[in-house]
Amino acid sequence: MIKKIIVILFMIMLCCGCNNQEERTLNVLNWSSYIPDEIIRDFERKTSIKVNYSTYSSNEELLAKISSVKEGTYDLIFPSDYMIEIMKSKGMIETIDKSRLSNLSNLNYNFLGLSYDSGNDYSIPFLATSVVISVNTDNIKEDIISYSDLLNSKYKNDIVLIDDQRIIIGMALLACGHDMNTTSEEELNDAYLWLKKLKPNIKAYDSDSPKNFLINNEANIAVLWNAEGAIASNTNKSIKNIFPSEGFALSIDNFAIPRGAKNKDELYEFMDYILDAQIMAQIIESYPYKTVNKKSEKYLSSEYMNNNASNISDAIISEGYFVKNIGDKIKLYDKLWAKIK
Amino acid sequence: MKKNNYLRAIFVFPLIIYALFLIALPLLYIFIISFFKSDSYGGMIEELTLMNYIDLFDVVYVKIFLQSFLVAIITTIICVLIAYPFVLAVCHKSKKTQKIFMTIVMLPFLTNSLIRMYGWIVLLRKSGIINEVLLRLNIIESPLSLMYNFGAIIVGMVYTLLPFMLLPLYSSVSTINKSLLEASYDLGASKFKTFKNIILPQTIPGLFNGALMVFTPALGYFFIVDILGGGKIMILGNLIKNQFLTARNWPFGAAISMFLIFITFLLILVYKKLGGKMDDLGGA
Repeated sequence: MIKKIIVILFMIMLCCGCNNQEERTLNVLNWSSYIPDEIIRDFERKTSIKVNYSTYSSNEELLAKISSVKEGTYDLIFPSDYMIEIMKSKGMIETIDKSRLSNLSNLNYNFLGLSYDSGNDYSIPFLATSVVISVNTDNIKEDIISYSDLLNSKYKNDIVLIDDQRIIIGMALLACGHDMNTTSEEELNDAYLWLKKLKPNIKAYDSDSPKNFLINNEANIAVLWNAEGAIASNTNKSIKNIFPSEGFALSIDNFAIPRGAKNKDELYEFMDYILDAQIMAQIIESYPYKTVNKKSEKYLSSEYMNNNASNISDAIISEGYFVKNIGDKIKLYDKLWAKIK
Repeated sequence: MKKNNYLRAIFVFPLIIYALFLIALPLLYIFIISFFKSDSYGGMIEELTLMNYIDLFDVVYVKIFLQSFLVAIITTIICVLIAYPFVLAVCHKSKKTQKIFMTIVMLPFLTNSLIRMYGWIVLLRKSGIINEVLLRLNIIESPLSLMYNFGAIIVGMVYTLLPFMLLPLYSSVSTINKSLLEASYDLGASKFKTFKNIILPQTIPGLFNGALMVFTPALGYFFIVDILGGGKIMILGNLIKNQFLTARNWPFGAAISMFLIFITFLLILVYKKLGGKMDDLGGA
């Protein structure tokens, strides 16, 4: 009896094995909350490619994952600008065959040929994100136009910040008039002193969903990613988004192919699918970051297009700064972060 | 007989594999990389150095150690203060009632701890249940700040770690021979004297075991600090997580982890010095 069961189980396993070999698969590793589930399901239905979708929450986590797994585990990843530079220099990503992407012309030229990959040989922009200050103007009557305005003692225990050391220390550096990628210990110390002044006003650090603090009236000011700010202001019209006068962090996330990717046909098919203007518009409606897909704009709602935090104007984009790779000096930032907390 | 040995081997084998591959080897790996140098991209250079351990004594990190110990010590003390009276009260009840009480206490802990932390947000936040009720009853005029402070972290820690104190205490209290208590009362000892001379000495192993199981995780549960404390302070757990995920410095993260293990060993050593037996820790 037991033998029979084992034989049957074995046969079932064999059959599954056969099926798997015929099935086309694609292994995508992306940021969490970047592509809605329906888009992936639609793609699977249309192409009968099975998408194995996993997520990460920081560029460093992505780097750690890619360096620790076997080559060919993932077919498509979404590193940000500076991470493209790192991965390129370590030979971790492959060149992209642009001739296989029919929707490439949909992209906004402003986001192509940027310093981290001037020929876009290794990266194709997916979307752009920036940092904004969101303010609930029902409760905050003063005009906030800069980071320095946040130091006002009136805002005690009322400010939420994203829990990201490069962004928050970068914000303090900008507030002090320094380069947000500085490695000078003196300038970093200025940033420390600035953050120390801000400390009584900080309610919490939260990277998961800082917008909820504003929406639930838990706090009145937040420094967060533009999509979060856009959702907050769409939910409550009194919440306004401001691009601080000292400048702000800007980041572009890109498609990239890790070295040794196995499912080439499938990954190009998927990339081209995502680059389609209508599909991109659907993605952007769910997660209202700045679209880098010029053609998608025509399919986007007026709510998206009229919100200054989601549809960031070119003039404002030009005031943003990229987070850059600072190599070993990241340790200085890490220590400073531990000191602030 | 032969068959018995065979069976025993089958049952023990997975445990040995588990201990070897999922505990011993990863720990060895962590131990080894804690002596490596890190390169600027998060990789490791296989050159031996003690720098990671020397860095631990930087003022910035010492502050975080002290902060973590403070959280862990307060959590442990509160857990003892809650668990001890509860266990003593429950142990006097019938076996059936004991089971019911312990089940009720343990039931919430079958849910994922992260989800339970989000549950606390619903209770504690400005527009949360506690504030709403107090406002409705006119006890307070404006909502209290119950979250994103030190107190909220302690609430989360105590709540999450309480069963680790309850279980060992319960098992050591329930093994006390009832006739000893009766003898004590018959000889005219007061309740306090009985507790001090009979109950407490016999439950020391359970108490220590519980304290160890509460204290050590309390140094590392970073998600409680992040969710209920608003990420405003760092404990050892946050520091380790940052080394692995943002600072790209795995060797230093490994060194902090080894330090954490070292502290646990130290605590066990203290316990042995005080006359405790190792068997009591595991078997209690």
